Amino acid sequence: MTLALTKTAIEMKTKTKIDPRAIEMCVRCGTCRSVCPAFEVLGWESRNTRGRIMVAKALREGLAPDSDVLDSLNTCTTCGICAAKCPAGANPPVIVQEARRSLVAKGVMTEAQAGLSGKVNASGNTFGEKAERLGWLSDAEVAGLKERADRVYFVGCLDSYRYPEVAKKTFNLLKRFDVTLLPDEVCCGSPLIRTGSEARGLVDRNLEQIKRIGAKTVITGCAGCYSTLKKDYPPDFKVLSVPEFLAEHISELDLKPLEISVTYHDPCHLGRHNGIFDPPREVIKSISDLVEMRASRENARCCGGGGGVRAGYPDLSLKIAKRRLLDVPSGVDAIVSCCPLCIRNLRDAGSEIEVVDLVDLVGRAIRSP
Amino acid sequence: MDLIDKLREIVGERVSAAPTERLCYSSDASQVKGMPDYVVRPISTEEVSKVVALAADFSVPVTARGAGTGLAGGAVAVCGGIVLDMSGMNRILEMDLANLQVIVEPGVVQARLNEALKPHGFFFPPDPGSSAICTIGGLIANNGSGMRCVKYGTTKSYVLDLEVVLADGRVIRTGSRMLKSAAGYDLTRLFIGSEGTLGIITKAGLRVMPLPKARRLVMASFEDAEAAGRAVAKTFASGIVPSACEILDRTTIAVLRRCDPNLVLPEGDVILFEVDGTKGSTKESAEEIARICSPIAAEVMIASGEKEMEEIWEARRLVGAAVSRLDPTKSRIYVGEDVGVPIKMIPALIREIGEISERFDLPAMKYGHIGDGNLHVALFIDVLDEDEWTRLEAAADAIHRAAIRLGGTVSSEHGIGAARAGYMKMQWDEGTLSVMRSIKKALDPKGILNPGKLGLFESPSSSSGGD
Repeated sequence: MTLALTKTAIEMKTKTKIDPRAIEMCVRCGTCRSVCPAFEVLGWESRNTRGRIMVAKALREGLAPDSDVLDSLNTCTTCGICAAKCPAGANPPVIVQEARRSLVAKGVMTEAQAGLSGKVNASGNTFGEKAERLGWLSDAEVAGLKERADRVYFVGCLDSYRYPEVAKKTFNLLKRFDVTLLPDEVCCGSPLIRTGSEARGLVDRNLEQIKRIGAKTVITGCAGCYSTLKKDYPPDFKVLSVPEFLAEHISELDLKPLEISVTYHDPCHLGRHNGIFDPPREVIKSISDLVEMRASRENARCCGGGGGVRAGYPDLSLKIAKRRLLDVPSGVDAIVSCCPLCIRNLRDAGSEIEVVDLVDLVGRAIRSP
Repeated sequence: MDLIDKLREIVGERVSAAPTERLCYSSDASQVKGMPDYVVRPISTEEVSKVVALAADFSVPVTARGAGTGLAGGAVAVCGGIVLDMSGMNRILEMDLANLQVIVEPGVVQARLNEALKPHGFFFPPDPGSSAICTIGGLIANNGSGMRCVKYGTTKSYVLDLEVVLADGRVIRTGSRMLKSAAGYDLTRLFIGSEGTLGIITKAGLRVMPLPKARRLVMASFEDAEAAGRAVAKTFASGIVPSACEILDRTTIAVLRRCDPNLVLPEGDVILFEVDGTKGSTKESAEEIARICSPIAAEVMIASGEKEMEEIWEARRLVGAAVSRLDPTKSRIYVGEDVGVPIKMIPALIREIGEISERFDLPAMKYGHIGDGNLHVALFIDVLDEDEWTRLEAAADAIHRAAIRLGGTVSSEHGIGAARAGYMKMQWDEGTLSVMRSIKKALDPKGILNPGKLGLFESPSSSSGGD
């Protein structure tokens, strides 16, 4: 990975603002070695959580950031399995994110980070797409969107632009419950925040619309959006994930059993980061058999897509996804998940078994669409 | 040609001299620091042999490292040079279970080996707290052990054969597939616990044991350590050899509860007795231990089942690092953490440590293998407070001296490394040390293998912030 910054930026000695006590919680026992998905693929200590914390500490003490420092910090998917396993109670993803933020604030970042930030800020989405974000709706449907509602469906960049059929299915399921859309939704800010950039402009734009609509609840089908809306936005509204909402309203959906067996991949930002393990399972079990993956719930392995790794280190990202596919139990008909980024990465890693959104599964079980 | 180019010729991209990588390999879980000049990740004996021969040519130090979980700086390159990260040599080469053994590379993680053995009904008994992470090579090089060694013995009881790269790059074998042999010096044992100062282990033949069919756990709490010590002595005297016999003092119990409020544990200073065997024998032994403890103990409980037992052991394995859960401003610093004394001196050691903890005004969590005299003392400090660091070092020194005075050792299973090198002269007399020096000089005349460890020679400058 090359640097996208000037020579002066590389050479400068920066003192970053990382909380020393958060760093000192790490006693370097190395427990993270047994779980860090990036380390499992790359094998170097600098690509393991313990190494990243040593790097963050050294940055605080004046280490000059170079491309290796950036690769160390940026190969973290922020999946948080290290935090879940850390006996000392350290929270490494926060340290990594803060270290990235401090460096970016000083102009020190990779080309991938700079590219992502530029693209999102210019276009309002992670793909730099110029097309209408609500292009998956007809003009009449757009015109008919309610201007005020109790609930808003936050679609997210991936479903808006890459999986519009999922967005459509989700909205069809939700709209009977007084749910509308943001007329001018932009990226929630997750990819920027995870990779250390500012996302205030995006956050404010979405917030202003949520307020105008008067929504008390924001529902999203993307784990990354969920985590961001919940933790990086002011707590002015309730945030619900699509699986939570579906689980709550399952009796009203009139679903028929599908007579298939599926497995469920816990997205890190829904499961480990926010404790949403049961709702998607409740929905799945109501229409099909669920066979758990070899590692699931708190122990679920990352798909490799998060934390900017898919954008910055595509090879690593796919290798992590391939390893995750090894956890799939034999004989299942589909891998179900609740995050378009996870779904995309697992598909791109060549899953022989169909990878689908929970909403797809539910769509198949609806008696009267 | 530079050393780095020559290293690249041997291992390709698996060498780094990047400052970030060197930094990340500059310590283990101890306070010992030392920046290597190169990190090399070999994947075969041939590569190790070539790297060591090259290092000998250049007179550059070579320090072998497994998972870097060590608590004494054994894998830290205190004199610079090459760190050989052996964790990539992680294949289980052969499951020769008809001969009760397995052949493994040194980077195999202990827990992975046991996962592979379990379906066959076998296990490799040495079980340190770091089982999920630590490598077999590191276990052998430090003669590591764990909770079950009170019954099963330490790593040295399970190594039948080693392939070792010597300091000039030659490769030798030290044993065979024989479960016993009386043919010359026991070179296998010479390399066990040698901390990479005599050769680099590249393959190991390990004896494995049949997995016991059942386990039972008895938990007894006591008013003081003396009473706990009496209960342990009486248990052994009754003819029962527990498969684990652990003490957890009340501070440790508080930390465990903080980690998992649902853990079922008695109050006070607790002894965990585990027995293994058949369903019938374990039931009988557990009840007998409960009966022996009852008159001495404040409370006695028998764990209800496998799940409850596993949760308690899992928590026990990780408790060492968990002290921050009790007070987030405190961190566990691994110094003075591995002393051992003859088992009947344990109550005296616990008393002395209590006094040391008070004298230096440092809270101490005491836990460990009371059944074999090994006590882990967890001292915790606010790492941002320099005065606490000073008191910590003084307290660790006092703990080490107390152990030696009571006829014990400064390390029972973690090793000497650089952190405890200064105590070798206190623990051994000059005659013994001179034999160790002769062995070292015979096998490593240039002194390139893990210099600065074991305290055999005057220590080079290292930045040990520990003992």
